[in-house]
Amino acid sequence: MILKKIIINSFEALVENKLRSMLTMLGMIIGVSAVILLVSVGTGAKRYITNEFESLGTNMILLQPGRTDKDSRMGPPVSSSKGKFLLSDVEALKRYATSLSAVSGVMFGAGTVKNELGTNNINILGSNEEFVKIFNMIIIQGTYITKEDDDSGKRVVVLGYNVKKNLFADGTALGKLVKINDSEHRVIGIIKPTGDKMGFNVDDMVFIPTKSALRLFNTDRLFGIRAAAKSRNGLDDAVKDITAILKERHNGEEDFTIITQVTMLESMNTILNMLTYALGAIALISMLVGGIGIMNIMLVSVTERTKEIGIRRAVGARRSDILKQFIIEAVVISVSGGLIGILISEIIAYTLHYFFPGFDMRPPFWIIPPAFFLSFFTGLGFGVWPARKAAHIQTIDALRYE
Amino acid sequence: MMGDEEIHALNDVSIKINEGEFTSIVGASGSGKSTMMNIIGLLDLPTAGIYTLDGINTTEMSDDDLSHYRNQKIGFVFQSFHLLPKSSALKNVEMPMQYASAYNKALTDEGIRQMALDTLDKVGLSSRVHHLPNELSGGQRQRVAIARALVNNPKILLADEPTGALDSKTSEEILTLFEDLNKQGVTVIIVTHDQNIAKRCKRILRMSDGLIQEDKI
Repeated sequence: MILKKIIINSFEALVENKLRSMLTMLGMIIGVSAVILLVSVGTGAKRYITNEFESLGTNMILLQPGRTDKDSRMGPPVSSSKGKFLLSDVEALKRYATSLSAVSGVMFGAGTVKNELGTNNINILGSNEEFVKIFNMIIIQGTYITKEDDDSGKRVVVLGYNVKKNLFADGTALGKLVKINDSEHRVIGIIKPTGDKMGFNVDDMVFIPTKSALRLFNTDRLFGIRAAAKSRNGLDDAVKDITAILKERHNGEEDFTIITQVTMLESMNTILNMLTYALGAIALISMLVGGIGIMNIMLVSVTERTKEIGIRRAVGARRSDILKQFIIEAVVISVSGGLIGILISEIIAYTLHYFFPGFDMRPPFWIIPPAFFLSFFTGLGFGVWPARKAAHIQTIDALRYE
Repeated sequence: MMGDEEIHALNDVSIKINEGEFTSIVGASGSGKSTMMNIIGLLDLPTAGIYTLDGINTTEMSDDDLSHYRNQKIGFVFQSFHLLPKSSALKNVEMPMQYASAYNKALTDEGIRQMALDTLDKVGLSSRVHHLPNELSGGQRQRVAIARALVNNPKILLADEPTGALDSKTSEEILTLFEDLNKQGVTVIIVTHDQNIAKRCKRILRMSDGLIQEDKI
């Protein structure tokens, strides 16, 4: 019998056994949907995180005191007693590191900010006037900290959007006084609602001059230094510049760690790719279960249709015709299930995207052909054994089968 | 031409059935008549001896060739009809031709449909072609089975207890149909234990214990 006819017959057999076909397909539908959705979650997460990083500007360079061996797995670089950054380090970089477009020391700590209307627990960040360039922050009212503010350690503050809302509601904040850890600061600017950046919610932070922050926390050690290279291509030069300048200042010792966005993105991508593959591999297990489901049903179907096989053989079907018939039925079930699964996962993903546009987990288009072929080959692979069994049933026995 | 058809079967028995004969093979159960039918129908191969059908020794044929031969030269009619229960009368009759289309590219879908309809008409079922087997009476089902057996213009119509599941009136109709087909030149072999049916045939092969006890014309 010609292939086209067998395929048509297989579809007819599917329709004749609607309930059983649907139940069999269910395994494949879930399997394919799981593969697509989990891979989408992986690629979505990757896209989301990459975007977050990119929005910070890819020229950014992070300097942390203390040495973290890149090969060790000791966790992120944190301040250690070994090295320390002082304001003079920032000054030196400003003056000599020509490949940098901006440098700022940062001081970081938790605290409270209050006025007569209320108290807020916030993160306080000390920085100089160039910080705003490094982190691409936008000031919607007033100004950011100026060079003059920083040089003289003025008690001025730039508020994150939520902090402003909480303390002043819709009223004017500029020029008003707020108490940061009981020290009065004058509000000079408001930052545009930004959300999370580098793991901190900018909207819930306040920004004060570096010197003011050092005074507030009573220390001379900076939390770290943030810088921006003049261009993305200049990153390597910038890293070399910084290393040379700081090494000289730190008695020839490289007691600090330099992290660029490029290296961060690379390691992030590696992790996220692994995550995507791992999710895909987990989903493959459900494909396997779906395939076994098809094999089970096909085996039952072969037994149930023993007489049909006998009749077909008697009127002239060759073994290969029976083999083809049952393999194609298995493939038709799995491919139909696969197509429904693709459709369902797309619907789910796009629905989720509609309700949560922030996290874009729409499936990448490249996933559709592999998902389709996966269901195709699952049907083929798990259909072979039942089909071979069917093809090798003895015609006389099959005709007598009740 | 079927010409010399020699059958060496069972306990060193040799028979020859010529084209156009109307033969019955009778015997009690266990007499070997079913084995005889399976060998004639190419469903089983003799362990020794040869079976020549239409001038060709079939005992050394491959499984695929046997399938092809069954498809082209033999039409089966069974006691319990053996129709595909979920396919219409028309689809049941089309089935052998679909397998034939693997060898004969001239058989188009339209051609197959037309031939199936013609054959159903020939057995008097043109009004019920789209019915499923369970929507047909026993006699009608057997007519569908006969149409399916005839549709590839086989050399032999091989019927195994064709009236066993039918009442006497319907049995009579089916037997009349066989007689008509035989008059049109179809070789008919009926395997039965029913003497009354055997008597309607021109030739009776009576079997017991794997031997032909009587060959009466």
